[in-house]
Amino acid sequence: MLRILPAGFLILLSMAGGVAAQEAYPTRAVNLVSPYPPGGAADLTARPLAPAMERALKQPVVVVNRVGAGGAVGTQFVSTAPADGYTLMITVFSISTIPEADRVAGRKPRWNRDQFVPVARINADPTMLIVHPSTPWKSVKALVNDAKKRPNDIIFVSAGPFTVAHMAVEVFMQTAKIKMRHLPTTGGGPAMTALIGGHAFVSALSTGAVSPQAKAGKLRVLANSGYKRLAAFPDIPTLKELGYDMEVYLWTGIFARKEVPPAVVSKIRTAIGQAVKDSEFLKASAKMQMPPDYLDAPEFKTWWDKDSEMLARAIRNMPSPGK
Amino acid sequence: MPKEFVGPESDKLLGANLVPETLNGLLAGFAMAFTPEVMLYAFVGCVVGTLVGVLPGVGPLAGISLLLPVTFGLNPVSAIVLLAGIYYGAMYGGSTTSILMRIPGEAASVMTCIDGYAMTQKGRGGAALAVAAVGSFVAGTLSIVGLMLLAPPLAEFALRFGPPENFALLVLGLLVLAYMSSGSMTRSLAMAALGLLLGMVGMDTMTGLFRFEYGLSELGDGIGIVPVAVGLFGISEILISAGQSTRVDVRAPRLRELLPTRREWRASAGPIGRGTLLGFFIGIIPGPGHIISSFVSYSIERRLSKHPERFGKGAIEGVAGPESANNSATSGAFVPMLALGLPSGAVPAIMLAALMIHGIAPGPLLIQQQPQLFWAVIASMYVGNVVLLILNLPMVGLFVNILRVPYSYLYPSLLAFATLGVYAVNNSVVDLWIMGGAGLLGYVLRKLEFELAPIILGLVLAPMLELSFRQSLAMSAGNYTIFFTHPISAFMLSVALVLLLLGMRSTFTRAEGTRALASLEPSASQAQKGNP
Repeated sequence: MLRILPAGFLILLSMAGGVAAQEAYPTRAVNLVSPYPPGGAADLTARPLAPAMERALKQPVVVVNRVGAGGAVGTQFVSTAPADGYTLMITVFSISTIPEADRVAGRKPRWNRDQFVPVARINADPTMLIVHPSTPWKSVKALVNDAKKRPNDIIFVSAGPFTVAHMAVEVFMQTAKIKMRHLPTTGGGPAMTALIGGHAFVSALSTGAVSPQAKAGKLRVLANSGYKRLAAFPDIPTLKELGYDMEVYLWTGIFARKEVPPAVVSKIRTAIGQAVKDSEFLKASAKMQMPPDYLDAPEFKTWWDKDSEMLARAIRNMPSPGK
Repeated sequence: MPKEFVGPESDKLLGANLVPETLNGLLAGFAMAFTPEVMLYAFVGCVVGTLVGVLPGVGPLAGISLLLPVTFGLNPVSAIVLLAGIYYGAMYGGSTTSILMRIPGEAASVMTCIDGYAMTQKGRGGAALAVAAVGSFVAGTLSIVGLMLLAPPLAEFALRFGPPENFALLVLGLLVLAYMSSGSMTRSLAMAALGLLLGMVGMDTMTGLFRFEYGLSELGDGIGIVPVAVGLFGISEILISAGQSTRVDVRAPRLRELLPTRREWRASAGPIGRGTLLGFFIGIIPGPGHIISSFVSYSIERRLSKHPERFGKGAIEGVAGPESANNSATSGAFVPMLALGLPSGAVPAIMLAALMIHGIAPGPLLIQQQPQLFWAVIASMYVGNVVLLILNLPMVGLFVNILRVPYSYLYPSLLAFATLGVYAVNNSVVDLWIMGGAGLLGYVLRKLEFELAPIILGLVLAPMLELSFRQSLAMSAGNYTIFFTHPISAFMLSVALVLLLLGMRSTFTRAEGTRALASLEPSASQAQKGNP
């Protein structure tokens, strides 16, 4: 509480401050809003990044968790915060998937992607396609063949609808033209529990969560959803090299409101560019198995547009809920 | 990477030389726990946890979330010892405001409000606080023994609980809890239904779509348990006493009345023992075990009591049982976390993240690969429980003196603290409106002599019941037989059915008896209930 109160106060201050003195940006503390709770991917990236940005900006960078509704509360909060560059957001692909899911459900999207400018991508980790060790599938091909024989029979588990685990398996199913049954849960932990307990047989979860369980033989890793093999799993192929033309990442990026003056955005870009090379930041990222995979604003924009389009297409092609 | 499933073998290895290994580990753990740094963080964790528990609204989840960033700079053992201290410390502190002012310090203390506050009104507030502290200590210490000796096999067993098993367990739980009410069954079922309905608000976890949120994203995670609990119990109490300016029946006890009498100790021993066992096993199973265990413990004590009519009017068993259960459940929650690296709820999930930040991959090999961490945590929990007892018992005298503060000063400051606490959890103004609304609702319902605890129960259980039910059907492609083809689920549902039939039989037979009585004394049961 002691940490949140000053942060809330700072938000109030920044509202009062308005757009004065863009030239000198930043003249006071910058809030980095994470729509996810402490311990999630966005928060874990933000915590070491904030002090590194602080060293570059010469002003405090405060991580503020505005948590709720799978990221919707925080994203909405930033979409209406003052566009002065003192409220930034660090988030994951829910910024693209939540409005698309709203549209598919026939509701007014809570925000649109074009309300934000992408500032930088910090990291992008592939998910690991995993199966329960008691299953006969030793390869992706074996899984696909079996799933083709019995559509909608194999159960896959996710951390919840539209989470990275769900999207990765969904995109995989659409690419491989197979159908499996979805068991949603309420987070990465419960999803892993359901898989290891044998209540579901397939999932796609983060490397950090997968590697200790894989080392203990509690699950079998079939593939990763990125473009290259991982150092931690040199024998595990990518889905791409197996002929499934897809990439799904658990990425975190920094966004600002699109009305933020370009001069301010460019200062933030520079600061993040320095922060991702900061030795303290690199050390912390290595410990958490979330190595930086930095993209500056222009490249991030191209990449984000493509990623969002791919996810949106997958959401539109999903069987309607309840089926 | 091993190709085969090696789980069972590794467990055997661990079990083979259990006793000497446990002793060695524990000694090494104590050696570590008594180093000044670890001691300091265990102490700080206990103090912060107690405060977090005492402050209305702020529970262990909020406390741990807020302090997680602080642990980044510590070594992993200190970090986890600090967070664990907050978790079980909050269970000690949560009882204080519940007993003295009927404001639940956190959600697991709701049941303590009922008889704890009734005891305060009789001048036995000190005894209630002392029993809560001692019960928490006993439960905390015994459940660590369970955690230490049984973690790997118990965690493997907990893994068998998938959606159908969870659903059956919740049904069985609901049935046990149906006995919770002290008044009319219909009235408490109506309140439980209200709670279940409130629990329907929020994101549909199966489809990700929003329900009944009326455009407020803040309602996406549902109506919060904390604002509802603080509103229903605390705010309504403030409103009710504001309307009774002449009543001053809450008196601060004299010093020698602070300790429980020999009879009170004897009455508490059973509930503490049962609460410890119950809490530990409920804590292992995924879900908010510390909240649910307190409800189950209360209803079991009421069921077992020779004088169930005393419950709700200051039965010390109603404080001893739930307070022991919620403490024991926190140790239970560590079982799957330490043995398998899998969280059983939101609080352990954050602790796992804290380990990952330090480069420790929490998984099934954690105990083998990081024995010093495991044993230091265990040892620090023993130490922490002693610290908490030493911290909390003398505070009983201090806290009870709060009752000497005149209402006109006490209640406005309580209102301010409750508002601050509820707001701080999510920085959400919507939560404050919910608290206020729940306060008004609680006021009206209490004037109409409805019981409030079933609402909280419904609110806690609704999302879990719905999720496990729909998950089960997702697993079976809509086939309802899944609940009977899974042996654990089939067994629990059969027990539930038997309980239901037994309950119905006794209702019918008793109904015949009471009907005859009722014609003579029409309002006997109503008059007895009284206004708490």
